Formats: sequence, C-alpha cells, structure tokens
Amino acid sequence: MAEVREKGYHHWNGQLKERYWPFWPITRTGIKLAFQRKRFKFLFACSFIPAISFAVGIYISERLEDFKFMAQGAERALQVNPNFFKTYLTMDFIYFMILLLMALGGAGLIADDFRHKAVQLYFARPLTATDYLLGKAGVVVFFVGILTFLPAVVLLLLKLLFSGSFRFFLDYPWLILSVIFFSAFLMVVFTAFVLLASSLSKNRNYVIAIMFAAYYLSEITRGIFYLIFRTPYSALLSLPANLQQVGAAFFRVKTPYAIPWFLSLTVLSLFCFLAYLLIKRKLRGVEVIK
Amino acid sequence: MSIELQNIHFSYGRVKALNGVSLSIGEGATGLLGPNGAGKSTLLRIMLGFLKPDQGEGKVLGYDLRTEQKFIRRQVGYMPEDDCFIPGMDAVTLTALMGELSGMPRQEAMKRAHEVLFYVGLGEARYRPVETYSAGMRQRLKLAQALVHDPKLLFLDEPTSNLDPGGRQEILELIGEVAASKDIRVLLSSHILADIELICDRVVIINKGEVAAIGRIEDLKMVNYQLYELKIKGELNGFRQELEEAGCRVEETEDRLVRVFTPPDFDHNLIFKSAARNGIQVRHFVRSRTSLEDLFARVVGVD
Repeated sequence: MAEVREKGYHHWNGQLKERYWPFWPITRTGIKLAFQRKRFKFLFACSFIPAISFAVGIYISERLEDFKFMAQGAERALQVNPNFFKTYLTMDFIYFMILLLMALGGAGLIADDFRHKAVQLYFARPLTATDYLLGKAGVVVFFVGILTFLPAVVLLLLKLLFSGSFRFFLDYPWLILSVIFFSAFLMVVFTAFVLLASSLSKNRNYVIAIMFAAYYLSEITRGIFYLIFRTPYSALLSLPANLQQVGAAFFRVKTPYAIPWFLSLTVLSLFCFLAYLLIKRKLRGVEVIK
Repeated sequence: MSIELQNIHFSYGRVKALNGVSLSIGEGATGLLGPNGAGKSTLLRIMLGFLKPDQGEGKVLGYDLRTEQKFIRRQVGYMPEDDCFIPGMDAVTLTALMGELSGMPRQEAMKRAHEVLFYVGLGEARYRPVETYSAGMRQRLKLAQALVHDPKLLFLDEPTSNLDPGGRQEILELIGEVAASKDIRVLLSSHILADIELICDRVVIINKGEVAAIGRIEDLKMVNYQLYELKIKGELNGFRQELEEAGCRVEETEDRLVRVFTPPDFDHNLIFKSAARNGIQVRHFVRSRTSLEDLFARVVGVD
C-alpha cells in the first residue's frame, strides 16, 4: 500500500556514496542528449555504410568463385589483410562522419556549459576538473569507438566466420592488438580535438566552424607547404596525414609519406597533451561563483 | 556547529579579499550580508572548497576546508546566483543528474528528482526543456537541484534575484519552510535585507574582508544601537552636530521625522538636554523598532 505523506519537503533516507567512476553520469547523459538532437540518428546510421561495405567485401573475398562474374580483376582489392583494416580505420569518410557526428553531439559538450554557466552546477558536486573532463571525453570516446573499434572488431570476427578457419589470425596474430591500439589512439586524438574546440567558444556554431576549419585547413596547409617546399615533412602539419602515417605504422604497412612515423605520433601526442593543458586552463579560468 | 572558520585570509594577487575571518554558524538559517566586494562570494567559494585559504583553518559540517572538499560538496546543496542550466535537458533529467553526481544511486536520484520538482512547484513542467523555462521557473529548478540529494547545509546565493514579487514570495516561503522545519541549515547570501530578515534568525555581516557583525539579528540590533524617532520644531543643524559629537547618527526623513541612532549605553535624556540647549521643541519622541537595514547601515558605515 502506498505511503500517505504530508505535503511539503521530505528527507531522503538513502546513503550518498562515492562512485568508482564519478564521471559516468556525465558521459551517459551526454550520449543520451546527442541522440536527442535532430538528424543525429540518421547520420549515426549513415556512418556505418563503410563498415557494411567492408563486411560485404570480406564476404565476397571468401566467395570469389561465386562472384567471379562481377568481381573480375577485383581480387587484389578484395584481399583481406592488415592493409584492409588499416584502410577502414584511416578512411576519410569515417573521419568526416566522426566530425559530423561530433558537430551535432559534441560541439556543445563544454561550450554549452560555459554559455549557460553550468560548470558551477557540476563543480558544486563532489567532482574534480578531471572527473568533469573524463565525463565529457567519454561521450566522444563512445562515438569514435563505435565507428572505429566496434566495426573493426566485427570485421575481424566476420573474416573468422566466413573463412571458417583460424589461418588469418595465425598469419597476423598482432592484428587484433593493432585494431585495439589504433582505435584507442583515434579516440584520444579526436577527444582532444573535439573538447579543445568545444572549450574555445561559448557558441556551438563557432565550435563546429572551428572543428571543420582546423581539420581541413591543416590538410590544405600541408598541400600548400608541399607545393612550396616539396618536402614530405609537410605531412606533419596535417591532422589526417599524421593519422594516416600512424595508422600505417600500427598495421605494419608502408607509410603514405616518406617520413618516420614516430614523428607523426609525436606531433599528435604533443597536440593531445597541449589540448589537455589548454582545456584545464580554460576550466580554471571559469568563474565558478561570481 | 555546521560552519567554523578561524582566521581565514585570502588574497587575489595583491588584493586582499578576506582578512582574518572567524565565525561559527550553527543550526537554523543564517544570512550573509555585505556590500559589493566585501568578500561574501570569496567566503562562499572557500566554504564550498573551490578556493584554498592562504591562512587559517576551517570546518564545514565537520570536514576540513583544505583536505576534505569532496565530502563538503557531497553534503552541501548550492543554489548559484547565476541563471545556469544545462541546455537540451528537461528538469527531471537535470535534477536527477545532479543527484547522481552527488552520490545517489540512479533510480533513487530519478525518484527523488520527481519529488523535489513537485515540492518546488515544477511538477507539471518537469518534462519541459529547461531552456523554455521562465526566470522564476529556473530559480525553482536551481533550488530543486540544490535539494535533490537532501543536503545537510544549503548555500543560497541571491535566491530571489530576477523574480517578480509573487515569485519572490513563493521562493521565500519554500526556503523558509526548508530552513524552519526540515533539519537543513541554510546560509542565505542576499543583498535584499528584507529577505534575510524574513528567513534568517542570525546574520553575518562582512565588510572589507572582515566580519563586521555576527549573531542573532534581534540581539545585534539591541547591542549595536538604539533608535529614537523625533518630531521637532526649530533649526536642526546645531542639534544634529551636538548629537553626532556625542556618538549618535542623525537622519532626517522626507516627512521631517528625525531618526537618532544612539550608542548602546547612551542616556536618552541627553537628547532632550541637547534640544533645550539648541532651542528646539521636541513634539514627538518614541523609541522605534530598528530594522536590519538600520543595523547594516550602522555596521558597514553607509547611509
């Protein structure tokens, strides 16, 4: 039988507990809010088009005899090897979709909190600045992971399923580690990129502009520098080029630019570290209470 | 004691914000008063654990200000002055999120969010996006998120700002109810003296980074001065000068009522003697009730 209560304020009888992951409610809410945005679900579904295409590719590669009539001369393209997975994880389309999804669901992660002075609501709770940042980072990690790590693992499993043997895994036993570590690397880089952009303005439209401009201008700058100096080191100026280099190194395939891959790794790591410092500084600069 | 501070000093670079603040606040509702720049916000920041004092010690709800900020924030509810919210959310989601961040289990936080939203009068609007709320509704929402985890101590920063008279009255009633009967200690920072006088029985007046007065409002009024209201016939200037030299403060209202604030041990017969010396007829003389406004003006030294 339901309790009959007096009108007015009532005490809560539970016990407040310290969470093991205090940032998790922020991440969960951020993901939920992203899905509530207009067109987000549609774009999210579209992001899986490359994964589906690659899955079909794996299927056809295992049934080349059946598809001879339509796959003439495509044997090389349909070779499933580390380069196949590297191609998936360094595809421009995937990165574009990540940017697009983050424009809708990630641009406001910090910008909206700054704009609507919500940071003080978070910090009036038992949270540190790192907890807050981890909560926001979790949203980006979730979406980047779901577009990179998850499909790549599924593709590996499909290869196992369609080939019906473990030979592929015995040939490339390190491949699963490459998928895990390169996906994790992508998550870190895109998280730093999105959160840095989101902390640079209170207006989410400006944040979206900053995200796309920074990403594509870095590539344009690379092109301009290459035209002027004719040096492959110009690739170090480009975010996508550096990702391509590091991706190639992780999957042990030939790097697209004739420069050591660890330079790209250093550039991206430095970028992530500087982004972290800048975001922390931005947060510290927020007036928690006026 | 819910708050105990001893000799708290804090500076923003070369600017001294707090200069040896010592106070203790116990049960009930306490008002935090002070002119702009007095150090109220800095004091709140320190009590919430956002800032570490340069010098001094303190405890809030028994937790150390320097080392146990997380525990303090778990037990304290904070209603900020700013119009702040998380866009894209409805009130239930926002309030439940704040409960969860304080350490409530998810289901409990959601259940409790519904309860407090009904309590503050947002029950019907709890599924509406918060950006569509009016100023008064947002103010209630801020109170709800401060109450969701059932805090032991509530910091309210200008809770009635931007509200129309009706909304102000309703918020004050809610705060009054929480403060009076629900075992929650309230620290109310406001520049609206009437709000503090209505809700609080104790007050801390901060001026220039120091505690200018602290105690029960009624006691402070008695201790700091007495107020006499006079209607006179004659020239005020000489009379005023003589009383001011004797340590009184003299005000003349628009309807020519003369208000004389005297020191606590002042003999009121001296007012009559001074009037006689200055050739003034005293036609009306009454010891008046003093207001918090008078106390504030007296302590802070402003008119």
